[in-house]
Amino acid sequence: MSADTVNTASILVSLGQVTLVLIGAPLLAGVMRQVRARLEGREGAGIWQPWRDLRKLLRKTRIVPEGTGPAFRTAPLLAVACTAMAAAAVPLISTRTGLGPGADLIAVVALLTLAAAALALAGLDTGTAFGGMGASREMTITALAEPTILMAVFALGARVGSTNLPQIVAAGVQHGGRLASPASLLAAFALGVVVLAETGRLPVDNPATHLELTMVHEAMVLEYAGPDLALVELGAAMRLTVLLGLWASLFAPWGIATATGPAALALGLGVLAGKLALLAVLLAAGEVFMAKLRLFRVPELLAGSFLLSVLAVTASFFLT
Amino acid sequence: MNTLLLLTPLVAPLLAALVYAAFGWRRATAHAGTAAAALILADGIALAVRVMRHGAIDLLGGWLRADPLAAFMLMGIGTIALLAAASSPAYLAAAHGPDADLGQINAAANRRYGALVACFLAAMSAGALAGNLGLAWIAIEATTIVTAFLVGHTGTRAAVEAAWKYTVICSVGIALALLGIIVLYAAARHAGLSESAALDYRALAAHAHALDPAVTRMATALMILGFGAKAGLAPLHAWLPDAHSQAPAPVSALMSGVLLPVAFIQILRVKAIADQVLGAGFTRALLLTMGLSALALAALLLIAQRDYKRMLAYSTMEHMGLVTVGAAIGTRLAMAAVFLHIAGHGLAKAVAFITSGHIQHAERTTRIDQVKALAARQPVVAGIFAAALLALLGFPPFSLFASELALARAGFAAGLGWPVAAAFTLILIALAALVTHTAAMLLGNPEGGGRPAAPDALNLTARTPLITALVAVGALGITAWPISSLIATAAQAGHP
Amino acid sequence: MSGDAELLDLAAGAFLLAAVGVLWRRDLTAQTSLLAVQGFALAAIAVILGADQAHPELYAVAAGVGVLRGAVLPALMRRAISARATDRETRPLMNVGASLLSAAALVLLAYAVSQPLVRLLGTASARALPMGLAVALIGLLILVTRRKALSQITGFLLLDNGITAIAFLAAAGVPLLVELGVSFDLLLAVLVLRVLTTRMRALFGDTDLDDLRELHD
Repeated sequence: MSADTVNTASILVSLGQVTLVLIGAPLLAGVMRQVRARLEGREGAGIWQPWRDLRKLLRKTRIVPEGTGPAFRTAPLLAVACTAMAAAAVPLISTRTGLGPGADLIAVVALLTLAAAALALAGLDTGTAFGGMGASREMTITALAEPTILMAVFALGARVGSTNLPQIVAAGVQHGGRLASPASLLAAFALGVVVLAETGRLPVDNPATHLELTMVHEAMVLEYAGPDLALVELGAAMRLTVLLGLWASLFAPWGIATATGPAALALGLGVLAGKLALLAVLLAAGEVFMAKLRLFRVPELLAGSFLLSVLAVTASFFLT
Repeated sequence: MNTLLLLTPLVAPLLAALVYAAFGWRRATAHAGTAAAALILADGIALAVRVMRHGAIDLLGGWLRADPLAAFMLMGIGTIALLAAASSPAYLAAAHGPDADLGQINAAANRRYGALVACFLAAMSAGALAGNLGLAWIAIEATTIVTAFLVGHTGTRAAVEAAWKYTVICSVGIALALLGIIVLYAAARHAGLSESAALDYRALAAHAHALDPAVTRMATALMILGFGAKAGLAPLHAWLPDAHSQAPAPVSALMSGVLLPVAFIQILRVKAIADQVLGAGFTRALLLTMGLSALALAALLLIAQRDYKRMLAYSTMEHMGLVTVGAAIGTRLAMAAVFLHIAGHGLAKAVAFITSGHIQHAERTTRIDQVKALAARQPVVAGIFAAALLALLGFPPFSLFASELALARAGFAAGLGWPVAAAFTLILIALAALVTHTAAMLLGNPEGGGRPAAPDALNLTARTPLITALVAVGALGITAWPISSLIATAAQAGHP
Repeated sequence: MSGDAELLDLAAGAFLLAAVGVLWRRDLTAQTSLLAVQGFALAAIAVILGADQAHPELYAVAAGVGVLRGAVLPALMRRAISARATDRETRPLMNVGASLLSAAALVLLAYAVSQPLVRLLGTASARALPMGLAVALIGLLILVTRRKALSQITGFLLLDNGITAIAFLAAAGVPLLVELGVSFDLLLAVLVLRVLTTRMRALFGDTDLDDLRELHD
């Protein structure tokens, strides 16, 4: 009954997670935009607007700038594929995902980084100034944020003795009291900061900006249009969903299914939807009150979160 | 009787401080500090006699302990304090004159000076008599606090800078020593010692076999580094030249002659405990490194000196380095030489600093290149300064010659020939530098650009104590008769 | 027992986080508030240890520590911060990002160095000991890399708080008289440094330590 066994049920769970993330990600983005709009006193476009945008974009003809190569063309698909793979591995609905021992922390982080790197290469491939600028900024942030994710989740994994994500989450479900320890609290804070950095939210990057010089992620993908742009936006929304789901599973694991019975899975699904919605609302509400950090202050913030994750690891190793 | 003997060195200076605080610095109260210093000296002598006859005396459950080393230090404190306190009225009176470059010195500052110097003496006596690591730490930290304002006495920008550096560096060093003390305390408590015994020097030495070696090694290194900061050893020595050059001359004399040795004594006491737990090798290596680095830094920086008070400060650092090398050697002969050296160096350096204060008032500058032909213009001052320098350079018949010779013999006998040879080479470099600078100041023709002749800065009451001190250093160099058995017993103490 | 150990870990964690906060924030006023938080965390450590090891005098010591390091010393510091903006914001010699990464290295160093002592003592409170050493090392880092006089005092206070935490965690505090002496000396040292800061401001116009350049070889 260990989390390592791969059987039909667990494969179905993984497929279910991927489908959920594919469908739910634009919905999540829509919820966030709507909450923000309402708080800012606007009417808002409704939570289905991102889906309507995707449909519009998919119907357009595919257009590609002159002089770009395979990096530009394959990046959106690669990004979506990597994020979907990560969604299959991370225990969102249940701890019995279909990848078994392959659902490793390092593998998931590598997948997410691969997605980011693909888009950065695409940005460079366009040969424009904004593409290069966005790519370099994105890579700086990723370089500082990667070690932090690894450290923060490692702090939780050190107690379990493994970097297998389902095992870590299962341990969190079993020993709920440990989540109030200094190691967990520090890791939660550090991972939270990194989620904001990796998904391009405030205070690191403003997703709604139209000023190119302040962009980080948007500048990389400035040249995309039509179906490619649809994939890029879908990929970004999926990335946000997967990372928020990872945070929720690690630090608020109550309700996640540990067996593969349909009742447990349905409960897990409902609880996940609820947690993601809550996190999205809180994030959007917080963004209304936050200002974007100046770019040269971002390394400070990320270094601070790295320090906190190192403290989390040492605390989990050396304290009770 | 014992209570009186052990408490007088603490109470007398505190009373003097109260007198200064209440009545200010006037003709009548000016010598309250001198009286307190004389009492400390008398008490030191009486304690020495008693301790040699009856063994160590305890008070307050071991918090104050008078053993031969403590009695010896008290005598040293008393002598140098007497010298400094006797010279203070002349120094402060001269500072009152139209010397705008010496900063604003006024009656309130003088009152503060008197009270702080007296508190300083009390703290030093407590440090010498401490039988407990906690009291030793409190006493040494108290000296830092008390002397901070003494260093900044003149109120100039340089003085404030020196006071800031002094306070911060010494406080950091002493905090490291506190960390070492706490670690040792934890180890001692774990080994079963009671709360009051876990900081007591004698109890720690007695239970040394039960202390964990790795933890003791960490604690010893921290304590030696921390107390070494106060004793002017590298790496936390940067405060020494600044503080000595900016403080009033009698305070510099007290710091060089009294404060640094008392901090050094704590290192010796820690070493005695550590050697029982770890064997002599660890502290020997640590002290050799620190001593030789201090010597090297001092010798090399002496070459380029432009300020004669800083020059004297680096000379102090050089001698403290030599004394540390002697402590690293650790044999009975070496320790006896170390104690004799502390006594001789303290006296000679005190005379040198006090005389430099008079030179500063007469010449209104502390730069070496602006003082010329002093021997022709102010023969008495120059003569005393030259004699003090000769004593410091280790010329016979002064006692530093005998102590340095004994250190060399002890070093070679203990198999530390190379480090001792390196130390004496560095002393030779320092000697060359000091001779060059002093000769530049003292010798030469007065017409060649020197200042016009001023009346002799030292009258009879000012010169007598200085000349007496120099004669004492010379006499000590020929025979240590009054204190030889005291030194021998103190040196014995490290070797059961 | 384990509940006490968790509380102790939380208090020690808050203690260390306050030090990290002092390193992170540039504003001197924010730093003094974090120092106050740290003082109270230190008092909390003493209280938990007193309850755990049945040492009633630790309560008195905790009260003293809380008052001195949580209230009096931060208040003294706050009064010394002038209203001018140049005195409030610090420009450290090492930028904040590099300082934070160095702090991570110092935490690891603290854990490595204190292993002999932790192994010797073996109690649950001793396991939190490296946090005290880490705070002391962070205090030294601040002392060395900051330009303002008040920042150096902050670093010194962090160093002393760290050492006191080690005293509590390793040996349930030092004897009462020594603790009194240490606290009194600390208070006097901070007062001395405050007076020197005022004089510095009067003579140099600013408490930037880079201005102290007159004495050198």
